[in-house]
Amino acid sequence: MRCSGLREYVYRLLRYYGGLLSRHGYVAGHGGNLSLRSGGSIYITRHGARLEDLRPDDVIEVPLEGPSSLDAIASSEILLHRAVYLNGAQHLAIVHTHSLYATAASYFLDELKPLDVESAYVLRSIPIVEGPAGSAKLAERVAEALKDHHAVVVRGHGVFTAAKVMDVAYRYACLVERSAMLWFLVETLKAQGLSQREVKEL
Amino acid sequence: MKAWRGKCLVVDLTRGLIKTASLPRRLLESFMGGRGLGVKLVYDLAPRRVDAYHEDNVIVLSTGPLTGTKFYGSHRFAVVSKSPLTGTIFDSSCGGEWGSQLKAAGLDALVIRGRAKALSALIIDEGEARMVNVEHMAGLSTVEAEAQLQRDLGREFRVVCIGPAGENLVRMACIRAGEGHVAGRGGLGAVMGSKRVKAIAVRGSKSLEVHDEEKLRNLCLLAFKRLQSNPITGKALPSLGTSFLLRLINEHRMLPAYNYKQPFFEGSHEISAEIFKSSFYKRRKGCPNCPIACKRLVEVDGVEGSQPEFESLWALGPACGLSSPKELIELTWLCDKLGLDTISTGATIACAMELTELGLLRPGVGWGDSEAMKKLLVDVANRRELGDLLAEGSRRLAERLGKPEVSMNVKGLELPAYDPRGVYGQALAYATSNRGGCHLRAYMVAGEVLGVPVLLDRRDPVGKAELVAFYENFFAAIDSMVVCKFLALELDEEVFAEALKAATGLPFTKASLLEIGERIYNLERLFNVEEGFSRVHDTLPERILCSPDAPPLSDMLKAYYAVRGWSEEGVPSEDKLIELGLPGERVEV
Repeated sequence: MRCSGLREYVYRLLRYYGGLLSRHGYVAGHGGNLSLRSGGSIYITRHGARLEDLRPDDVIEVPLEGPSSLDAIASSEILLHRAVYLNGAQHLAIVHTHSLYATAASYFLDELKPLDVESAYVLRSIPIVEGPAGSAKLAERVAEALKDHHAVVVRGHGVFTAAKVMDVAYRYACLVERSAMLWFLVETLKAQGLSQREVKEL
Repeated sequence: MKAWRGKCLVVDLTRGLIKTASLPRRLLESFMGGRGLGVKLVYDLAPRRVDAYHEDNVIVLSTGPLTGTKFYGSHRFAVVSKSPLTGTIFDSSCGGEWGSQLKAAGLDALVIRGRAKALSALIIDEGEARMVNVEHMAGLSTVEAEAQLQRDLGREFRVVCIGPAGENLVRMACIRAGEGHVAGRGGLGAVMGSKRVKAIAVRGSKSLEVHDEEKLRNLCLLAFKRLQSNPITGKALPSLGTSFLLRLINEHRMLPAYNYKQPFFEGSHEISAEIFKSSFYKRRKGCPNCPIACKRLVEVDGVEGSQPEFESLWALGPACGLSSPKELIELTWLCDKLGLDTISTGATIACAMELTELGLLRPGVGWGDSEAMKKLLVDVANRRELGDLLAEGSRRLAERLGKPEVSMNVKGLELPAYDPRGVYGQALAYATSNRGGCHLRAYMVAGEVLGVPVLLDRRDPVGKAELVAFYENFFAAIDSMVVCKFLALELDEEVFAEALKAATGLPFTKASLLEIGERIYNLERLFNVEEGFSRVHDTLPERILCSPDAPPLSDMLKAYYAVRGWSEEGVPSEDKLIELGLPGERVEV
């Protein structure tokens, strides 16, 4: 595919953040996807692409209003990305990771309440929803959740975050995983018999 | 025997004999059905080095063990013969309902040899067969011939037939099996024409016994879920049909335009799937019991018909510099009626357009001239004027005008819509294909572009030889079951082996399935070797090989022959033939 102008910029940006997410271990293999909205288009990573090493061919441009021929090779979550961009919240960037702790927590919770100051301040709460990957049902639920939240966890699947810019969506993804790790550690310590002290003002 | 009938109908047109023959269980287990059975029958029954139009050539129409079962995509059949276009052995897979009707008539296959004295139709009614004179149907289009036979015999008859192109021995004549279904490539319609068989109508109502109906049903449930979750079989094909590929392939700069002179078409948006959907779409249509239902009906000026498939769109569109969707619909419908393979016909016209541009063809045909193309199609089908030259296919046309390099073919078969300069695995698959420039022997575009089952680096030659050989074997098995190849975009060999096990009760495994595929592929190769084909024919057009981004074909070929266990000349080794039990016990019918 031709890679010049805006497309070249998008490619570099997605490659950069794909690399960061991979180094954190939030995505591995062919997992996860990223997208940006610009004008009437969505630039999304390709189905089967490796976020840790994106190639120019791995960025697919599809129309925002869709569907289109190019949906066939876009991430299989293209329906979901489109639904989020069209949910009225004016999001311009989406990150989807397969973060381990957040996914583990999703088996036990309906909502993840961040315990640390920064995450609680930024994310407030993280809803957990269900639905088959790639389905219209899941797209609808995630799009609805991301109207009023920065992040959502899909049970047994992973994290979706949305923001105005990719760097912020990336930051949300990091905070979700940090929240889940912290929840896990606190719950583990509690299970060891330690008593939890409430933080008065979060 | 479950899932098979164990019988074939043998028709000797010269002697006017029709008889039913048994198909030994061992033969069916070794070659399954469809393509494999057809290849074995043609290999054993047709003499080598005779012209495809010679009365001794044999044409086989065959079903497989899954044909007529409740498994998805299984109403298909295969047509196999020596091709008049390529001189190789040739099979063509076809959808619709003819295959399942033949099976319901109590037959696995139909073997036709000899030549009828007059234009004839073969009528098979519940296994009882007779030849009838249909001289009055000479020159009828495929649509007219089907309609007339169904009027005369009953609408429940399913008909395969040829149009004027087949009757006039046009080397790219196809066989039509109802609206939207053709055995398109290789000129097998002309082989039918050479035998003076206009049509074969079949009706059957015999139920088919399978080993484990419930297991087959459960496999369908599993397959349904997987097919729905696949972006191609679950979304793109059901919502846009195969034409979704046009823009996608163009975006990769792999859509060859103007007879492969450039790897992209500037007018691709005008003939995209989106345009067909917004301006012409009427409704979806599919083969019986298919969860994908990739076919679509469109309407033009109040007339309804099939939406052109991607390859047809490309061959008559970008390859010829044409970007009018309405004209493209009309051109493909015209090809269908005349009984012409859209790919080879479009590519041959594209070749003629370039020859015209070079000043070698007068009066010729200009790029994108749809009116001239329509006239030319009729002239090709009737072998009139310039059409008579084109009726020989692009290779013979270009050779005759002293410019063989202008024909974009492999082994005489015109290349389809994927420019091999952008996909190295597909390039190797084109070069090694037993039936010439074909994308369906090993559809490497699936992995190299569509990313199913996994995304491959399309310009990386490493490992492509192994993958091409794997898919050639796998698809030979698929074509022999017989099921639709689109299923293989999601389902793996394990699912198909389980389906075969459920249908036949035999212990099919992934390995045995692939071994059957390998056996079939090697027998095809053996046929071609005996016809004089060798390494020099496993190549690509000069225009591809001389371009700066040419695939490293020579190195890939060397690796491929090693993987296959063939000599450096591309001949199956003695050890390989013994391992696969080839050529096997000669079939006598």
